[in-house]
Formats: sequence, structure tokens, C-alpha cells
Amino acid sequence: MSTDNKIWELAEAYVSGTLAEAELISLQNNVNTDPTFASQFQECVNLLQSLNGSGNQKRFRSTLQEIQVEHTEANKPAKQVTRTISLRAYYWRTGAVAAGIALLTFFCTYWTINPKKSASQYNVLRGEIENIKRSQNQLIQNIKAQKAPSTVPVAQVKYTGTGFALTNKGYLVTNYHVVDGADSVYIQNHNGDYYKASVAAFDENTDIAILKVEDEDFTFGKGDVPYTFVGAKAEIGEHVFTLGWPNGEIVYNEGYISARNGFEGDSLQYSLVLPAHPGQSGAPILDANGNILAIVTARGNQNDGNTYAVSSNALLQLLHSLNKELNIHLPKANKLKNLTAEQRIAKLEYYTCSVKVYKK
Amino acid sequence: MYSSLLHTEQQLLTALAKGERAATSQIYQQHHNTISSWIIKNGGAAADGADIFQEAMVVLYEKAQNEDFRLICKIGTYLFAVSKHLWYKKVQKQQKQPGNLPDKAGIDEEIDWTYEDDINAHKERETHYEQLNVALDQLGEPCRSLLKAFYHQDKSMQEIATEFGYTNTDNAKTQKYKCLARLRKIFYNAQAK
Repeated sequence: MSTDNKIWELAEAYVSGTLAEAELISLQNNVNTDPTFASQFQECVNLLQSLNGSGNQKRFRSTLQEIQVEHTEANKPAKQVTRTISLRAYYWRTGAVAAGIALLTFFCTYWTINPKKSASQYNVLRGEIENIKRSQNQLIQNIKAQKAPSTVPVAQVKYTGTGFALTNKGYLVTNYHVVDGADSVYIQNHNGDYYKASVAAFDENTDIAILKVEDEDFTFGKGDVPYTFVGAKAEIGEHVFTLGWPNGEIVYNEGYISARNGFEGDSLQYSLVLPAHPGQSGAPILDANGNILAIVTARGNQNDGNTYAVSSNALLQLLHSLNKELNIHLPKANKLKNLTAEQRIAKLEYYTCSVKVYKK
Repeated sequence: MYSSLLHTEQQLLTALAKGERAATSQIYQQHHNTISSWIIKNGGAAADGADIFQEAMVVLYEKAQNEDFRLICKIGTYLFAVSKHLWYKKVQKQQKQPGNLPDKAGIDEEIDWTYEDDINAHKERETHYEQLNVALDQLGEPCRSLLKAFYHQDKSMQEIATEFGYTNTDNAKTQKYKCLARLRKIFYNAQAK
């Protein structure tokens, strides 16, 4: 055993260069005269050098990693880019599972209950261009007449979508097709609490509906809505992200604007490459600065990530045409701009909700 | 950020070879943005940019370990060439669609492929270290932790003696040599296969 230790001691000293000249010479002699020792010694030296080398490299890599983190902290635009990626990895599992379940639910409920509509949903929407209805009251009355219970509803949820706040006091926006023909509409906020909502306005053509939470004391979050709405057309290639509620859980997705116009060249829509799943209809599309660019509305027939979204411009037009009495004042200040992607999502979560639609 | 530019490139490299943080940071700051934005322009995600650049830094670091090493070009040129090369290899490996292939037009073949040997050496080294880590993980305790503490975490024998409960550093050293002997067996047996 002691001879074993000796060879290591010798190899260690040799590798670190601390052997005295006399020792080096005697080592050289041993190596020259004893081939077995020579090969053993060589193995020891190689192993030690590899251990040192890999240890040094490991520490160097972790220094690099730290520097990278510092660098991205100090460098805002670069930060957003790197942060989003790490998030994506983080949410990937959750997203994939949720998407899978959502897809299943979609097949089980939406298509079996309403096969005609889903198969030709887009055609229906496109086909009724003449019948543009901008009604503010009709549906509210219908829903009120139903006198649905204001506690947690017992009826079966027929559709779910996503909505997001226009004002902190309870106006929110979602897709018209989500609430179309609803007996009653509830939203479920980030706490999982249900609130009854009514349709305040809609535009069937652009597929936008504005809902109002009926509870007068309801607020989405502590302060004003943190994002702003950008009506101007965003550029192709702009990176965007979305937060939706496909399955009772908030899911983050990211993608980019792939075309200025949407389905069949609709100029009030964008085409996106962004994974979207049933239940995400009505989810906000935000740019890297946290401005709302559009609202998710549909996806292409091939499940290839092709998604269509109604531009904020369409929403702004609808709001403009509304009765002033509705008292919808859009947020003017963007409070998301200087946050990290994670902080942004944490904040956004409060202002998005799941929209649950009940129907006979 | 660039206040320490007084260093010559060779001084920077010497400091980098020792893994000194300030020098590493300076090189990082100077070249990261150019290179990672090139990668993003050529079909990479931001994470690819960061990964490739880090890998190129490691290649430079390993290259600088050699005391005779003298760069025949600027650090930035070297890092850029190596990064481009690493990126092509990655894209080829992923066999992305032709549309995503980097734009060959922006490449100076003469410069960019000069360092292929360095990259191949780097690949070999990585595989070697990988095997070494596999062998380390096959060691039982306390050997695995002891060797990792010494070689990876750079702890002194004194610290290790305290942490692992040896009465003195000599005992810890004896244990370390035993562990090294076991590691050598596992590692070279695996190599022979």
C-alpha cells in the first residue's frame, strides 16, 4: 500500500512541478530502466492531469456562467432575450401537459358537442360579414332573465376561453366565439374564484367580446392594468408571448409575428407562429415591452403552430364605437417595461382569467 | 466596463488561462454581444448565442493553458471564428431546414476554418472529461465526494480532513491516494473496453 501511495505522491509532485532536480533525475532513471513502472507512472500522471484539467474547466465554466448572468442583468435588451428562453424551458413541461389535457378536453367537449361549428368555425365567422352586430344590451338582458346563481355554478361548463382586463374594475376582453350563445358566463381569476360576468359589447365580425364582471367590488389586481394597447401594426418577425388558461392553469407561450395580415388576408388580424391550444382563445398577445398587440382567436387547421390573432386596433375601434356611458378608460401607463420576464408574467397573471361559458 | 483595457491581449490571455475573473469578464463583455447577435442573425435563438459563445470561451481558455500559446490574431477574431465554426457544426447536426442554415456568404473560409484543429481537440477533451466524470460517479463514497471536493471544488486537504472527519491531513491524503488508485482502475478498465 505504501508503494502505491508513493507513486501517487511522486506523480502529484511531478504534475505540480514541485520535484527537486535530484528527484527528477532519479525519476527519469526509474522510468528509463523500469518499463512497468514507467507505464504505471504515466497512467497516474495522465489521470491527475485530467482531474486537474476538468476541475479547472468546471470552475472556469461556472465563472463564465456567473459573468453571463451579471452581463445580462446589466444589459437590459439582452436580458429580455435570454430570460424568455430560460422561462420557456421552465414552462415547457407544464405547457406540454396542459396542452395535452386541453387538447383532449377539446376533442371530448367542443367537437363532440358542437361538431359542425368547430369544423367550419372560420367559415361561419367569415360568412356572416353582413350581419355585423354591435349590441350592448341584448345579451345582458338575456342573461339577467336567466337569473343564474351567483355562487359557483353547478351546470356543466361548455366552453372555456381566456380573458384579460381592460380596466381593473372588471371590464375584460375575450373572443366573441367564446361567449356566443352563452346562457351564462363566469370568469375564474388567478385565485380560482368565480365571478359572474355579462357581455357588455361585441363585434362578431372581428370576433371580439367585451365582458363586465357583475360584482361591483371586483378588481383584477391591486393597481391599474399594467399594460397598454398598441393599435399600430407591429412588424413581421416581432417576438411575442401570450398567457392563456387552456386548462384552469395559466400557460406561457412565445412565438413571433409571421405575417401582417391574418386568415385570408384579414388586415385586422395577424398571423403568428405560436403554439395555441383550445381555451386560449381571447388570450393577450404581448410584445417584448409588455404592450398588447393582439388577441388570440384561432389556429390553422394543421397543428403546426400557425395562430391567428385579432389586432388591438380592432379592439380599439370597437371601444371607440361604444356608448361613452360604459366608462371604459384604457390604461395609459405601461408598468411592465422594466420588469424581467418572470416578474412580468407574475404581474400579468392577475389581469388574465379563464372565461367559463355555460350553455344548455 | 472597459476601464481595464490597459492590459495587452497577451496579458489578458495569461490571466484567462488562470481562470481570473476580471480578465474573463473583460473578454466576455467585449465580444459577447457581437458574437451572439451574429448567431441570432444566422438562425439561432438567444440561448444558442450564449451557449456557443461560452463554448468558444472554453476553447480559448483550454488553448491558453498551453504556455507556449501565442495568438496569431486578436482574441475577438479567434472567438468569432471558433463560434462560427461551432455554430455550423451545431446547425449541421440538427439538420435544420435549409431556410435556417446560416448565410454562407458572410463567411471567410480562410479564417473561419483555421481553428478546426482546436475545436476537434476541444471535442476530444470534452469526451475525455465526460468519461472521467462517469468513472468518478462509479466510485463509492466517500471517494467520490472526496475527489470532487479536491479537484472540482478546489478544497484544501485541511478543509477536506475536517469535512470528512479525518484526524489529520495525512490520513486524508492516504485516503485520497486510495481513492485515486480505485479511480485509475475504473477509468482505464473502461478505456480498455
